[in-house]
Amino acid sequence: MSQSFGLNEANGKSNDSPTHLAAAGLSAGYGDEPVVRGIDLAIRKGEVLLVLGHNGAGKTTLMRALFGLLRPTQGKVTYLGADITGRTPAQNVRDGIAFVPQGHGIFPTLRVQTNLELGAFVADKHLTGERLATVYELFPILKERADQIGGTLSGGQQQMLAIGMALMHAPQVLLLDEPSIGLAPNLVDRVMQSVRIINQRFGTTIVMVEQSVKYGLPIADRVAVLKTGRKIYDGDPAPLHDRVELMKLY
Amino acid sequence: MEAGSLLLQLLVNGLINGSHYALLGIGFGFIFAPTKITHFAYGPVYAIGAYATWAAATMLALPLALAIPLGIVVCALAGVASYLFLYRAFVERGSTPLVILIASLGLFIVLENLIGIVFGTDTKVVPDAPSNVILLGPIVFTSLQAAQVVCLGLVSAALYAFLAFTRYGKAVMAMTDNLEMARIVGIDTARVSLVAFAIGSAISAVPAILILLKEGATPHMGFTAVFMGFVAMIIGGIGSLRGAVLGGLALGIIENAGMWKIPTEWQSVIAFVALFLVLVFKPTGLFGTKARR
Repeated sequence: MSQSFGLNEANGKSNDSPTHLAAAGLSAGYGDEPVVRGIDLAIRKGEVLLVLGHNGAGKTTLMRALFGLLRPTQGKVTYLGADITGRTPAQNVRDGIAFVPQGHGIFPTLRVQTNLELGAFVADKHLTGERLATVYELFPILKERADQIGGTLSGGQQQMLAIGMALMHAPQVLLLDEPSIGLAPNLVDRVMQSVRIINQRFGTTIVMVEQSVKYGLPIADRVAVLKTGRKIYDGDPAPLHDRVELMKLY
Repeated sequence: MEAGSLLLQLLVNGLINGSHYALLGIGFGFIFAPTKITHFAYGPVYAIGAYATWAAATMLALPLALAIPLGIVVCALAGVASYLFLYRAFVERGSTPLVILIASLGLFIVLENLIGIVFGTDTKVVPDAPSNVILLGPIVFTSLQAAQVVCLGLVSAALYAFLAFTRYGKAVMAMTDNLEMARIVGIDTARVSLVAFAIGSAISAVPAILILLKEGATPHMGFTAVFMGFVAMIIGGIGSLRGAVLGGLALGIIENAGMWKIPTEWQSVIAFVALFLVLVFKPTGLFGTKARR
């Protein structure tokens, strides 16, 4: 696969990697009042971008607008330089963008394997088996539970299934909306590890929204912080390890 | 007639009426489950299926073998048109289910009256509709009644195959389970909705045409149809093909069993009571598995 980098190369992301997905002056919301206002954000190819912010800061709205589930009221979304503003999720998925929504991003009444197969709905049919093997290798528990109904899995397993479904069409960009929500700390670590592995093994560009600093920060290459719908920080995660710096932003 | 064979006859009548309700429930549910649109105009669209067949058989003097498929196609197109020209605009702007329900009631009234204006309010019958009386031991039924049961079997088998083996069938199942996730995995939900409206309406044309041949068509025939289809779907459990079939059959059998002791004019009261009991004791329907999160 052309986009699979070696471990070291993937770690050595430089600031001059090309822009993969970007928002320019992006505003979006529900009803008249925008939830995110004038966001400029360039996500570089192969990086893990962590989007931090309080509840209600507009993190989910930003993700939904990037993915096309929500039509921006202003501004543009570009993918590899092309304007994709206002395109449907179906078109974006075909172009290699995947989204894992907050909570249980699965089909709860369908079997685990059916869930995964639906994840590959737009993918080439003959590649489905290969992708399935990759996902099962990454999350062996899903293979054990292949015939179980999705909704009967535990919270952590459901989150793995949700991520597995997104991987089924071999995305170039993976948007993750609070994958840690509702999970016990040891499970959060497992999920974060898999996010890291996905990024390193497949070179997948990752945008991950988190409320909790301590889970996301260790695996982030770059951090953006949102506050009441605006971006107030964008840069290296290192200074944010310093609590004082973080307190100022929050 | 002794009590035993009377009960048997009522059971057979229940099976026959139940097949009619089940067909209505399958069609209504096939639209509602994936699109979440309470398409009450399903009633007059169903009537359009009957009127189109009637017009083809009498005004155009076509043989029934042609008039019936034509009626089914016209009915499917009417369903597709109601999505394209009415519901789609509401869905795209993210209207609430209540707004869409009101819109569907509006369409119901418009279509029902249009049928009355175009065709008149008298009962339309197809003169030489084929129907023979069949005697089976102590049981009596007509060939048209038998057709209602057979059609239920054929339609549900075809629909099962569609859901299990086709790409659109899988998309319908995905949308039924979780509409937003269906969009997230890249399913073109607008296009699948169109397919659901086409198939659901085509299914409704089958019971409509059988009623036309049995009793004739009136502009108001859609009201009981959508009502019974809705009740059958709720009793059986939303989003379950098996549920709609068994819900419809249960409704028909309960109704007819009730007539053993209760006068016929109470028939729809029995349906209401059955619906009420299911909603109180098993709100997900008898065969619905969907647990809301």
